[in-house]
Amino acid sequence: MRAIECLALQGLRAIMWCMAMESRRSQMLRGVLDLCLLAVLDEGPAYGYEMTKRLRDRGLASVGEGSIYPLLGRLEREGLVQTYRAASNGGPPRKYYQPSSVGRIALALGVSEWRAVRDAIDAVLAPVKIEVSHE
Amino acid sequence: MSDFVEQCRAEWKRLGVPDAIAEEMASDLGSDIRDAESDGISVEELLGSSASDPRAFAASWANERGVVQTRRGHASGRRGRVPLVAFIGVAAITLIVAALLLATGEPKVALVTRGVALPHPPGSTASFVPPPSRVQASAAAPIEWILLFLSLVALAFSGWLWRWRSRRAHPPIAPAQ
Repeated sequence: MRAIECLALQGLRAIMWCMAMESRRSQMLRGVLDLCLLAVLDEGPAYGYEMTKRLRDRGLASVGEGSIYPLLGRLEREGLVQTYRAASNGGPPRKYYQPSSVGRIALALGVSEWRAVRDAIDAVLAPVKIEVSHE
Repeated sequence: MSDFVEQCRAEWKRLGVPDAIAEEMASDLGSDIRDAESDGISVEELLGSSASDPRAFAASWANERGVVQTRRGHASGRRGRVPLVAFIGVAAITLIVAALLLATGEPKVALVTRGVALPHPPGSTASFVPPPSRVQASAAAPIEWILLFLSLVALAFSGWLWRWRSRRAHPPIAPAQ
């Protein structure tokens, strides 16, 4: 009976740990998602679904349009992206987004900042030898 | 049109998003959902956790775009205007009273009134007669002119404040291109 309780407790801890990891990943991504959007838009104008596909192609499959559209709204309000409507491939007119000149400057500054933070974090975490297998 | 889009549309309507903007957002979202479904991607995969809460998604999108006119905003705007309206009322009444006093030629009201020092015999202390109950007339520093000036300044300031608050409460919406 005690062994079952112990197993149940360990299972619960594992679930909570996984949830905490997911939450951390989400929080980290939230801080740089605007940069990611500006970066994929810098490759060429895109509408919402195209941006989702570009992010998926680079491994950010967990980013849904539920996060992208509100963020695009903010970028548009802040003047970091410009929009225009144009016909998509055989479909109805779509709203295309592209970085404004201010948006490009914000992207450059943001990428520089990201690299500085990433390098500092790497310097702190590099000595850690423990690894988790993702298989 | 999917049920998700319809629920978003209802939420935008509830939040007071202008019809043209709500229609544009609904159209874009609907087109994206159709494209994703044709690629074999479900609404849940496309939208992530937002798929389970269309109202929160719609509110977040509209809020970030700055196109929400919430009831709370209206209520706080109304509450904030009450003191301003009262201030304008007082300033207007002051202006009218000052203008009437000036127009009717009533005795000017002095800011400083003086009592009368009676002549006194040598050796006695000076006696002082306080000013009469009615404020004495004086051409010096007529308070009507001061009230008129202050009320005009107050009205001008109130007008500027009213316009500033209106612009802040209803920022201009960028037209979709």
